[in-house]
Amino acid sequence: MTRVVIDPITRIEGHLRIDVEVDQGHVQKAWASSTMFRGIEKILVGRDPREAWLFTQRFCGVCTTVHALASVRAVEDSLDLEIPLNAQYIRNLILIAHALHDHIVHFYHLSALDWVDVTQVLKADPKKASSVAESLSDWTGNSAKQMAAVKNRVKGLVDSGQLGPFAHGYWGHPAMKLSPEVNLIAVSHYLQALEYQRYSNQVVAMLGGKTPHIQNVAVGGVSNAINIDSSATLNVDKLVQMKVLLAKVIDFVQNVYVPDVCTVAGFYPEWFGYGKGVTNYLSVPDLPLDGKSTKFDLPGGFIPSGDLAKMIPITGQKDERWRKAVTEDSAHSWYKGGGPLHPWKGETDPNLTDWKEDGKYSWVKAPRYDGQPAQVGPLANVLVGYASGNPLMVKWTDAALAKISTIANVKATPAMLHSTLGRHGARAVRTAVLGDLAMKHLALLTDNILKGDTTIYNKPEFPKGEIQGVGFHEAPRGTLSHWVVIDNGVIKNYQAVVPTTWNASPRDTGGAIGPYESALLGTPIADQQHPLEVLRTVHSFDPCMACAVHMFDPSGNNVARVKVL
Amino acid sequence: MKTAVYGIGNILMGDDGIGPAVVRYLESCLTVDDDLTIEDLGTPSLDLPNYLAGYDRVIFVDAVAAPAPPGSVCLFTREEIIAVSPGIRVSPHEPSINDALIVMDFAGNAPAEVTLVGVVPETLDGGLELSDAVSRAIPAAAEAVMGELAKRGPERVALY
Repeated sequence: MTRVVIDPITRIEGHLRIDVEVDQGHVQKAWASSTMFRGIEKILVGRDPREAWLFTQRFCGVCTTVHALASVRAVEDSLDLEIPLNAQYIRNLILIAHALHDHIVHFYHLSALDWVDVTQVLKADPKKASSVAESLSDWTGNSAKQMAAVKNRVKGLVDSGQLGPFAHGYWGHPAMKLSPEVNLIAVSHYLQALEYQRYSNQVVAMLGGKTPHIQNVAVGGVSNAINIDSSATLNVDKLVQMKVLLAKVIDFVQNVYVPDVCTVAGFYPEWFGYGKGVTNYLSVPDLPLDGKSTKFDLPGGFIPSGDLAKMIPITGQKDERWRKAVTEDSAHSWYKGGGPLHPWKGETDPNLTDWKEDGKYSWVKAPRYDGQPAQVGPLANVLVGYASGNPLMVKWTDAALAKISTIANVKATPAMLHSTLGRHGARAVRTAVLGDLAMKHLALLTDNILKGDTTIYNKPEFPKGEIQGVGFHEAPRGTLSHWVVIDNGVIKNYQAVVPTTWNASPRDTGGAIGPYESALLGTPIADQQHPLEVLRTVHSFDPCMACAVHMFDPSGNNVARVKVL
Repeated sequence: MKTAVYGIGNILMGDDGIGPAVVRYLESCLTVDDDLTIEDLGTPSLDLPNYLAGYDRVIFVDAVAAPAPPGSVCLFTREEIIAVSPGIRVSPHEPSINDALIVMDFAGNAPAEVTLVGVVPETLDGGLELSDAVSRAIPAAAEAVMGELAKRGPERVALY
């Protein structure tokens, strides 16, 4: 029995630490911990709820829009404030454009290198790579000439003795299996993804005023002036420009991202058998279609024990069961208290001890739904959509499974999605669904404006006394909820239950383990000094741990430390 | 020459907010034209290349872990930044300035001139306030940015 600790000291405040016990080449026990105290919700206490979103969008430098919108939704919920249709559509488009960008970046720039061996590119035949890629999709960026140029670029990097962005990949690891040609295709698309995700970010900037910190949100709506004849406001020209940008992104998603994920899955079918973890899935409804947020384009629900037939729908922020079901437990987290607390009663008082595997070992609290751990993220979103019979979710899931079946020469089924590869597949499916919905919501906004509706804002009025609200959002990493208590128009308590808290959850009072911890059990480890397999499963969740500190460390102390004890 | 001055850091985490603070200071005393962008980017990490593409020169202001007293201002060249080896990525927050430049060098669209104006923090504990030492460093850090800008085309930059 050996203990492997992966502790990336990438910032001085630390990040995600994973401890696994390995016996006979497989993980037997696992602990996930965050080594950084957040507690930044405390900054909000005593502030005006109308400006909370300006602070919450700083929680996370990558998911700024996500925390801005969950915040205004929470305050609007506390006031039962309806917002104009234009505001709803504009917010939805920002959320979709952000998610398209975020999912593409996750696959190509954060996790593809777990599966792609860049050094193998030098052995690839560009012509063969081109014909393989062209057999998989109609993408125009797959010519033999383009493949040869990318191969040369990689050769230049290798000849220089540096591997640039790929310097710390696990090259030549026994768990790498793609053919040289598929490795070349992947690196070629890695470069193209850098360009295409940017178009999506441009749409966020056009609607949000600027990125990464959007300027256009308000409690009660948005501040985008609409006038179809004015060049200074949201007008027909801008709507057309956004359509052109989104069409490019959608082309990339359908013809590059989805086929690439299916191809990687086809080369690693055994990874449909690893990384299952907690199979309670939680996803909240999103992309509201009316001002009161009662109808949604993405359904929400809770799936107990992976049984899609037993899915319990979540109807909206007013859903009574949802409002009661979420709690956070800190028995194994570095906070005072222990037992589960509802977020409106949530506390964030630190109590740091040593790292103790049977005691407190993480700054992350343990969120629970109806007292149980739950997995959140695109897989939960897709499974809830599939279980609800949502036509777009069913269409894209079935298309992806069919493609994987052809490439891997196996019968891919929805049951295989409960896995490390399933999370990647579901993220690609969700991205394709969001692409279709981007065009739908752009059309809804355009039609509504052309009908003459230019309303964007309903003024909030705060009553005397105490009110409570919850704002949720099905963010790229999964279910996000902001819980606010307002007293006489001033914030009294604020808790953000973020997606990675659900997935990186430590054990709770009853000892139930969290999704990362559970997903790592049984994972094979070929080389304990290079635990690539652990990273594959953790990356598949798309962790976003320390949303707060960023610092350049010229001493170069930012290499993940792997300790084998 | 298209130039950007970017403040990096989280304003909710004490002295990590020095980059954005220097940007706010510069915004109050610099004239901006089409060739000069000044922006508080927060902690964009993996999204950073989106803000670098299309610029010839970028000046970052960020908190740095250097062996010097809090509030010290240290300049780093492009070569010094790139020399820090990128780590294994676990979350989208880890890739930083050096990762962004290395990725863009590979893609062939990185800005040619890059400088980092670093300020050594005292505390990174949660809170909107800068420590006294770091707060006092704002004019010196801004001066360092102005000095970098003046190296090329000072006529486009006016302090008032």
